Amino acid sequence: MTVTTRFKSGRTGRGEAYVSDHSGSPHARFMRLTSYALIPLGALSAWWILGLAGKTLEGVRAEVGRPLPALVLLAFGVIGMIHARLGMDEIIEDYVHDEALKARALLANTWASRAIAALWVVAILIIAAPK
Amino acid sequence: MADADTDRLAARRPLSPHLTIFKPILTMTMSIAHRITGAGLYVGMALLTLFLLGAAIGGGAFSAVSWIASGFVGNLIILMIVWAIFHHLLGGVRHALWDRGLYMDPQGRELLAQGTLVGGILLTLLAFIFKTLAS
Repeated sequence: MTVTTRFKSGRTGRGEAYVSDHSGSPHARFMRLTSYALIPLGALSAWWILGLAGKTLEGVRAEVGRPLPALVLLAFGVIGMIHARLGMDEIIEDYVHDEALKARALLANTWASRAIAALWVVAILIIAAPK
Repeated sequence: MADADTDRLAARRPLSPHLTIFKPILTMTMSIAHRITGAGLYVGMALLTLFLLGAAIGGGAFSAVSWIASGFVGNLIILMIVWAIFHHLLGGVRHALWDRGLYMDPQGRELLAQGTLVGGILLTLLAFIFKTLAS
């Protein structure tokens, strides 16, 4: 993103020049690192998510409660939502041009993605925890 | 120039992508599909989280969320999520290849666009067939 600089520009005045906030290269790097992890995690998770279709409560708990699906789905949810947050940031920055609305949308995205990841982890831990 | 004039001119300037101007070619369509499946998976993960929370709590909570993965709507949601994962995954592999400067020529990028489209549908079908056979 660009932020208004604290410097006074001779041409456009105080805070009117836009500079990089240096979040660009970490964004690109995290996008790629998470995507590499999501290749195996996504393919395996797709298989187990497909298995949820039409299941009873006991069926869902048996499917998600096994160790390997539980661990893979946990990692998929957390890494996936980091990746999804970065991606949604890009979408917001591309399409929302009103500065105040953009700031609110980015904040909403930050907390929505964290909430989804946290509740995802809680749900799977409750289902998969040894009784 | 006054700020109002600058703003007015900036507002009139066309933004990329010019969806109404470009001819819809396959590479562009797959690029848009990559973004749509990505945003769709965000919503899909929210729905799946609700579903898993319902399953974790059980009882009435599960009855309230079971529409997400059963019945016509639920099967459609799950199938769309699985297809979106595979399509977005292959789209990501395409970007990883492009990051390394591979397949950037006209034939190469067309091949990758076709591979993303066909591969996503094919992997979804294969997963569906093997899942049906396994259960």
